[in-house]
Amino acid sequence: MTLSLILWLPLIGVLIIGFFPNPVKTNTLRNITTLFIFITLCLSIYLLTQFNLGISKIQFTEYLTWIPQIGLNYSLGVDGLSLPLIFLNGLLTLIAIYSIGEKVERPRLYYALMLLINSGISGALMADNLLFFLIFYELELIPFYLMIAIWGGEKKGYASIKFLLYTAVSGLLVLAAFLGITWFSGSASFDYADINTMALSANTKFILLTLLLIGFGIKIPLVPLHTWLPDSYVEASPATTILLGGILAKLGTYGLIRFGLQLFPDTWKLVAPGLALIGTITVLYGALVAIAQRDIKRMIAYSSIGHMGYILVACAAATELSLLGAVAQMVSHGLILALLFHLVGIIERKTGTRDLDQLNGLMNPIRGLPLTSALLIGAGMASAGIPGLVGFISEFIIFQGSFIIFPIATLICIIASGLTAVYFVILLNRTCFGKLNNKLAYYPQVLLLEKIPAFVLATLILFLGIQPQYLTRWIEPTTDHLIATLTPINVEIAQK
Amino acid sequence: MNHLFSNNIWLIPIYTLSGILLSILWFPGIIKKTGPRPSGYLNILFTVIAWVHSLLALKEIWNQPPEFLSFSWLKLNTLSLSFDIEISTLTVGALVLITTLNLASQIYAIGYLEMDWGWARFFALMGLFEAGMCSLVLCDNLFFSYVILEILTLGTYLLIGYWFNQSLVVTGARDAFLTKRVGDLFLLMGVVALLPLTGTWNFHELEIWTKTAEISPTVANLLCLTLMAGPLGKCAQFPLHLWLDEAMESPVPATILRNSLVVAAGGWVLIKLQPIFALSSLISTAIITVGAITAVGASLIAIAQIDIKRSLSYTVSAYMGLLFIAVGTQQTQTILFVLLTYAISMALLVMSIGSVVLTNITQDLTQYGGLFSRRPITAICYLIGAASLVAFPPLGGFWSLSQINSNLWENYPFLVIIITLVNGLTTFSVIREFCLIFGGKPKEMTVRSPEGLWALILPMTIIMGLAIHTPIILAKLHLLPSLNELNIGVVIALITSTFVGGGISAYLYLNDKISKPIQLKPKALQDFFAYDMYTPELYRITIISLVAFISKIIDWFDRYFVDGFVNLVGFATIFSGESLKYNTTGKAQFYALSIILGLALFILLICFPILPNLL
Repeated sequence: MTLSLILWLPLIGVLIIGFFPNPVKTNTLRNITTLFIFITLCLSIYLLTQFNLGISKIQFTEYLTWIPQIGLNYSLGVDGLSLPLIFLNGLLTLIAIYSIGEKVERPRLYYALMLLINSGISGALMADNLLFFLIFYELELIPFYLMIAIWGGEKKGYASIKFLLYTAVSGLLVLAAFLGITWFSGSASFDYADINTMALSANTKFILLTLLLIGFGIKIPLVPLHTWLPDSYVEASPATTILLGGILAKLGTYGLIRFGLQLFPDTWKLVAPGLALIGTITVLYGALVAIAQRDIKRMIAYSSIGHMGYILVACAAATELSLLGAVAQMVSHGLILALLFHLVGIIERKTGTRDLDQLNGLMNPIRGLPLTSALLIGAGMASAGIPGLVGFISEFIIFQGSFIIFPIATLICIIASGLTAVYFVILLNRTCFGKLNNKLAYYPQVLLLEKIPAFVLATLILFLGIQPQYLTRWIEPTTDHLIATLTPINVEIAQK
Repeated sequence: MNHLFSNNIWLIPIYTLSGILLSILWFPGIIKKTGPRPSGYLNILFTVIAWVHSLLALKEIWNQPPEFLSFSWLKLNTLSLSFDIEISTLTVGALVLITTLNLASQIYAIGYLEMDWGWARFFALMGLFEAGMCSLVLCDNLFFSYVILEILTLGTYLLIGYWFNQSLVVTGARDAFLTKRVGDLFLLMGVVALLPLTGTWNFHELEIWTKTAEISPTVANLLCLTLMAGPLGKCAQFPLHLWLDEAMESPVPATILRNSLVVAAGGWVLIKLQPIFALSSLISTAIITVGAITAVGASLIAIAQIDIKRSLSYTVSAYMGLLFIAVGTQQTQTILFVLLTYAISMALLVMSIGSVVLTNITQDLTQYGGLFSRRPITAICYLIGAASLVAFPPLGGFWSLSQINSNLWENYPFLVIIITLVNGLTTFSVIREFCLIFGGKPKEMTVRSPEGLWALILPMTIIMGLAIHTPIILAKLHLLPSLNELNIGVVIALITSTFVGGGISAYLYLNDKISKPIQLKPKALQDFFAYDMYTPELYRITIISLVAFISKIIDWFDRYFVDGFVNLVGFATIFSGESLKYNTTGKAQFYALSIILGLALFILLICFPILPNLL
């Protein structure tokens, strides 16, 4: 029941916002949205407390036959892979509500879309049926497209169309793969439990897995399928970017593990070296391009590409530790990215620019934005992998886990994390340090409502960095189980 | 026996961490009501508590066997991390040294940063350093040693960037962070690579492992080199040394701590790693070479500097080079001895220099002179610091350097020569500074220069007392080498080098007949040392421009090639649509024609396989 509530509550919120009698204040709409998202967040926390750590299978299942003719069922469930992401989804939506500033144009539509996004992502994460997953995966595009196209920056038209085209192609490829999996394997329905790819020929499996990889690769995104990302991240409002980078991109890696690794355990070993290579290239590429950027948002966008590369390397290595690290990195990257974009959003709203050549000396305690700068230093350092913050521990688990399988790739990733430090030092030195131009520095106050989300995220980043078991404990049973199912199959094939 | 304090020794880092947490209150909320000072006093209070605790613990643990504690931190499927602590006379003794020096620098900071508004930030960062070093000393685990070193790297960045609106500070902070990070990342590689081989990061278990380890020489060499790189960056050794002199842009109280202890933190890890280094044939040569090059190079560079603080910072690098030599030749006991005497005398030197810089505004040595009559206390402190740094009997440095050299004489006579040379050069350098600052006649900048505030003088004189008494304390504790352990010839050579170096320096710089500034001939050689052997330029034209160039290229590639291709596809689609729309003419004849043409093409396609038969 809880899962359905998490899925449907935001939709009820959409209805209430839609039919709220005119005239309505923006604040009222925002409060309604906050209320609904807050309840879903509380429900996901409730799930975390009720989650049975001893069971590696899907829990809290809900099942209703929907359209049995085509094998589509209303089937929900969560495991250690999806549960942390569901929590992240609730949290980041809540943060995003407060990261666009006081005034929103067309608030009714805006908040309705926000609720839709929340419900859609939860649906994709909780779905237990391939087709059901895909419905949500595709449904996400519409609100995101509108969010970029309506509340975006200068080139919003270009960015939104690019985003739509790319992700629609991603959806089509995934759909093709899903249909192929179900039809060729002769499964009775699209339910995860019904699907078994063991009977398929090696070639078929390889082709289907490649389709999935490209499909989800666009979403993650992997180099060279990434060009939608910088444009969308830069043009979208901070709130949209937080949701895009913080949680939507995670659907890509989630799909990679859930469908790629879980459904094709034996073919995975074939593509793993290639994936590790692409992952390493992505990591290096993202970091190096980020160094050359002058626009803070663009810099962080490329940094995000780089950080997703670690997850790919970890998935490719597919050891117990690396997979755990991959899921942990999804959460920690979501938190850190959200904090970064939230703070950059504040800086842009207050100073009117995102240009590294114009920003300077924001640490100034009187005229600058000292608190924002201090938190930005923290967020940047978390992203650069300084220990004590959550980014380090998940990257470290990835490194340690992947090293046995792909030593060279791992070492290159460690070097790339040094490059991460390079661009963050550039960013921090330009924005926070230096001399503030006293003639221009008449910045508006940073409001409490803008500070609170940053505090919440920063606290979580620090807390999970110091006590990482509160992050890993939910994930571990599931990833252990995943790897455990992986190995015997490999052995079996070797014996044949 | 009651072990209340030593068993709860882990509280010591916690004290200062709580000080840091409380300092957050002053950022920047209540600063308008209370001013910034209470945050400083609060942190000092916590340091005092930590200091008292460590003293009591030392009393308890004295001559007791070491105890080991372990706190489980994170347990994962195939990885379990626990924070291991070693409580021994040695580690607790190091804690006493750290808390003492930190307390002294914090009190010093009251005077030095009297008018500053950033107290909360400054004292919190000093607290971070104290907590970091205390936990590093207690830590018995490689992984956490790495973690602490990395956090200290961040601390260095923030502490150097304390006066962040000056451009030199900003570049200094950047360089310090990045150079140290390079070393740290190599260390991380070593840490990651070590676990699959050993299954543990605990230093004692690693030592047991090395006894039975069978790994190929290449792996062992690479592993040891990566492990060495972390301490290399921390100790400001060649080629990662340039951050230390840029770090001089930070406030002096931070420099006291950094020059005396933080650099030595890398040395501490190096000592802990020594059993692993035994696996590799190459590594001890590498450590000794790095140490020797840095020791000689940096002591020469120090002489060519005209900036007071920079000159001292190269002396730090030189001494850390000696430390590397000692590690490379496996003299664990002696290294600790060196570290102790070095830390105290360097702290004293920086303190006296700082009190001069504060009132005279300039840092340019050539503008100083004649301060002895105006600043006698500072001058004496400086002299004592210098004397206990180099081999000047009977102060601390004499004993530690003599012991190293006596131990080395049997197997490494060449290194003895190097150490003696470095001792002579360092004496020359510190006496040169002394003469330029305190000797000669007063100049424009030094006419008015009173002794500083009590907060500067008090910790300075206390540390001076400590420096003088170090040999006596050590003798009481039977830690001083007895005279028959020392090789008399080597000791005499050392003392001679001190007096020759100091004598020449005093003659050159106190003699008015010799025109100042003294230039080395040829000038190129002087510049070579004055500009730090052109290391910054070397980095600028090699690694920095390389990374910048590659990132520009890839950015260009991304913008015009990858994205360009995508846009080309989009453009082609629009273009073809735009051109095809002219087909919609509205004329029936045209539609009929296109239908017929299409049909013909279609039939042709279908009939293509049987076409040859038809003909």
